[in-house]
Amino acid sequence: MDLAEYKNDVWGQEVLRGVSWDLLWLVIVAAFIAIAAHAIYESTQKRGDRPSSEGERVNRHDAFDRAFHWVMAASIFVLLVTGVFPIIGLEFAWLEIHWIAGIVLTIVVALHILRSFTQDLSSMAVGPGDLKEALDGTTKPGKYSPAQKSMHAVVTILTLVVIVTGIIMFLEIDTPWWERTNEMAESTLGWVFFLHGLSTLGLIGVICLHIYFAIRPEKLFYTRSMIKGWISKEELAANHDPQRWTPDEST
Amino acid sequence: MASFDVMPEVQLYQPVELGDALNLADELGEDGWLLGGGQDTYGWLKDRAKNPKAMIDLTGIEALQGIRDTDDGVEIGAATTLREIIGDARINRDYSMLAQAASRVASPQIRNVGTLGGNLSQDTRCWYYRRGLDCYRAGGNTCYADGPESMNREHAVFGASRCVAVSPSDTATALVALEATMIAASVSGTRTIAADDFFVGPDTHITQMTSLDPGEILTAIRIPSKWAGQRFYFEKVADRDVWDFALVSIAAAMSMDGDTIGDCRVVCGGVACTPHRLTNVERAARGQSLGEESAEALAQLASEGAKPLNYNHFKLPLMENLVRRAMRG
Repeated sequence: MDLAEYKNDVWGQEVLRGVSWDLLWLVIVAAFIAIAAHAIYESTQKRGDRPSSEGERVNRHDAFDRAFHWVMAASIFVLLVTGVFPIIGLEFAWLEIHWIAGIVLTIVVALHILRSFTQDLSSMAVGPGDLKEALDGTTKPGKYSPAQKSMHAVVTILTLVVIVTGIIMFLEIDTPWWERTNEMAESTLGWVFFLHGLSTLGLIGVICLHIYFAIRPEKLFYTRSMIKGWISKEELAANHDPQRWTPDEST
Repeated sequence: MASFDVMPEVQLYQPVELGDALNLADELGEDGWLLGGGQDTYGWLKDRAKNPKAMIDLTGIEALQGIRDTDDGVEIGAATTLREIIGDARINRDYSMLAQAASRVASPQIRNVGTLGGNLSQDTRCWYYRRGLDCYRAGGNTCYADGPESMNREHAVFGASRCVAVSPSDTATALVALEATMIAASVSGTRTIAADDFFVGPDTHITQMTSLDPGEILTAIRIPSKWAGQRFYFEKVADRDVWDFALVSIAAAMSMDGDTIGDCRVVCGGVACTPHRLTNVERAARGQSLGEESAEALAQLASEGAKPLNYNHFKLPLMENLVRRAMRG
């Protein structure tokens, strides 16, 4: 199975055409094997009672951040459906929907980046200490666990690559605002398609894992907090170190 | 790209039963190539730009031959030659526009062997694509026909989506105007497809010209009696009178109430990847009388929404003139 596909350019030279979409099935299978392995491992672990969601609550995600998350999720979902379905043989007029969803994602990510400067960036920063913390089962995390921070870092990189390459590809099609020039060298275009496809495949794998963890019973309170904004004080105490994260209690 | 005068080594199946052909098409899938008169096929294969493993010759299947009456019009077998259609009395009486369109296909020699199904299913003539370049239509990631220095005189002014190739079929234009339906068979059964939906654009199917799936065979074309004996207009403009593809063509079917246009369908060829219906002209024409005045007004609508490329702006006035000529009476 190849990582990339090649073609001959107009001069007969072999250039990159894009990612090999055979990898799609590899990514999906790998993600499901990882999910199955984790689910089996977790089923062998003895867990105590889950903390109650009743009682006093603290704020975990502001409304703006929740809205960002779900708009981003919706746009990525639309982008994946419109981008990948035609490749696997489900043909429909996808291009316009794809770039409109791409614009939405770009705007939302830009807003998120700007807003992040007003927030505690260190709470999401991944560092060497996170590895130690992940291996040491006794240390409770701050606002985000090492797994959550790693997931965020990977999604950030993949999303930025997919957006930057997507914008370059956007310039290569006709839109209501401009007509394509078709001036980009074929080898450069091949790299753009390759990186766009590769980051898409990465996102598919990461999103499979993200959804799996979001619906795991012991993590459901995080999903609820991404919908309603809060977690209970009991959930806070059971999963986070109050010395490292002091949430807003005015929910 | 190498070009040869000889065919590559390829398996040839010559079934005489439709069922056998369907089984072969199913087994071979995308490795198989349906062969009618071969007038589109042989160029592809000799240039080695398409390399199927096997060809399924459909011309020996009796069920795909001939022109027959149906309860609601006429059915033409997909392997019926264009010459037979041109010479058929029923077609000339009721659907003269189809005979006229068929008579403008290529040359007498090609019409003698070229089939209606082949003419409808033929691939685009974009030379960048035909030359074997790895463009969008060939599964690549660029269009060579829509660049700053691209030669795109023959290409699309409507409906382009990354690819700007046009449908080359003359009979397709007439059959869309006649509201024909296509009968497609496969091992799973038969389906009928409206001509409007049979031809597909690059926005949905960038690597194919029709909605036929691998393993499907176009078996027949039905034309409804609705348009039998109505007023028709067909004209094809090409660089040469013989053996050339349309720069722009027009096919118009009109039901007349005296001198007034009732229902009508106006379709242009050579301007989009599919036969392009001029729905704004159709709407405006209903209730109008044929004549210079209405022709002039309708002509103005013909090119609305067109997006010409570097070298094909001439198609816009050409379309307008063809509508003018169709509606003058």
